[in-house]
Amino acid sequence: MDIEAFQNRVLPAKNKLFRFALRMLGNDEEARDVVQEVFIRVWNGRENWGDIQNMEAWCMRITKNLSLDRLRSIQRKGTYPVAEGFDVQHADATPDVKTELGESMQHVSQLIAALPEKQRQIIHLRDVEGYTYNEISEMLELDMNQVKVNLFRARNAVREKLMKINAYGL
Amino acid sequence: MLMDSKKLEELVKKYWNCETSLEEEQQLREYFRGGNIPESWRETAALFRYFDEQKSKTTDSQFDETVLASIKKMPARKEGRVVKWVAASMRIAAGVAVLLAAIYFVRQELRSDTAMASAEDTFEDPQQAFEETKKALLMISKGFGRAEQQAKKINMFNEAQEKVQTTESEL
Repeated sequence: MDIEAFQNRVLPAKNKLFRFALRMLGNDEEARDVVQEVFIRVWNGRENWGDIQNMEAWCMRITKNLSLDRLRSIQRKGTYPVAEGFDVQHADATPDVKTELGESMQHVSQLIAALPEKQRQIIHLRDVEGYTYNEISEMLELDMNQVKVNLFRARNAVREKLMKINAYGL
Repeated sequence: MLMDSKKLEELVKKYWNCETSLEEEQQLREYFRGGNIPESWRETAALFRYFDEQKSKTTDSQFDETVLASIKKMPARKEGRVVKWVAASMRIAAGVAVLLAAIYFVRQELRSDTAMASAEDTFEDPQQAFEETKKALLMISKGFGRAEQQAKKINMFNEAQEKVQTTESEL
């Protein structure tokens, strides 16, 4: 296995991995570090690439595990506060932000950030990245039922809160 | 993309119940991407637009270079060899240590044995030593005698077997 294979098979997943790490960590810099580490690990394990059926799912799984490790060490050190509802909004806000829809999108961002870890991971992988239930269960090492149940809970939690915002104009 | 309000309502309901396929979810994102969304759908639209917008987030432009550079810096399999070599020599060292320990204990055991034997069997007086030896030899010969008597019994069986065989062959 050489660098060319790495560039063709592994590197194209970078943005998906980055977004997932960002979803978990809520910090661009940390997410970037994690994805870099993922790639180094995958490169060092290149002798076993033949056994990996779905390279993207494999990389995503490593991203999840390294992000969790990172999250734990950050929380232990208290380097930066990982509040329940940390904001993962763009720095370069789109013009929408000024409109009402933009404001609602900010609410959505906060709602999703406030979801429990697993639900947040699953709603991201499904609704942002468009993975199948099968792929998600492989990435997160969960069985299919757990994926579905957690997605259902996540969507309904978001829905309930959105409806409340709508009703009271929060 | 055009979608009448009834179909939209149905699809969104299916979405909340996690019954939509990936294609249907894509349809929803595409629908809400467009303008002219009725006010009543504002929050739902915000959700799907948010998903859509999140997907545009990418790593910075130098990311590939950084990764490739750090990968090229990796000591290509050399590290693996060093690790393997260290592991192999550790294994050999462990084997040698076990062998040395075994030799040490066996030698100690032997030494203590021979020391005890020589302490018990040494007689100052040659006459006494001779008597002791005779006693020991007598005991051995007695043992042999007894063994011979037992062996004779086995002989009986042999003879009987031979007899049976000869009568059998005669028949």
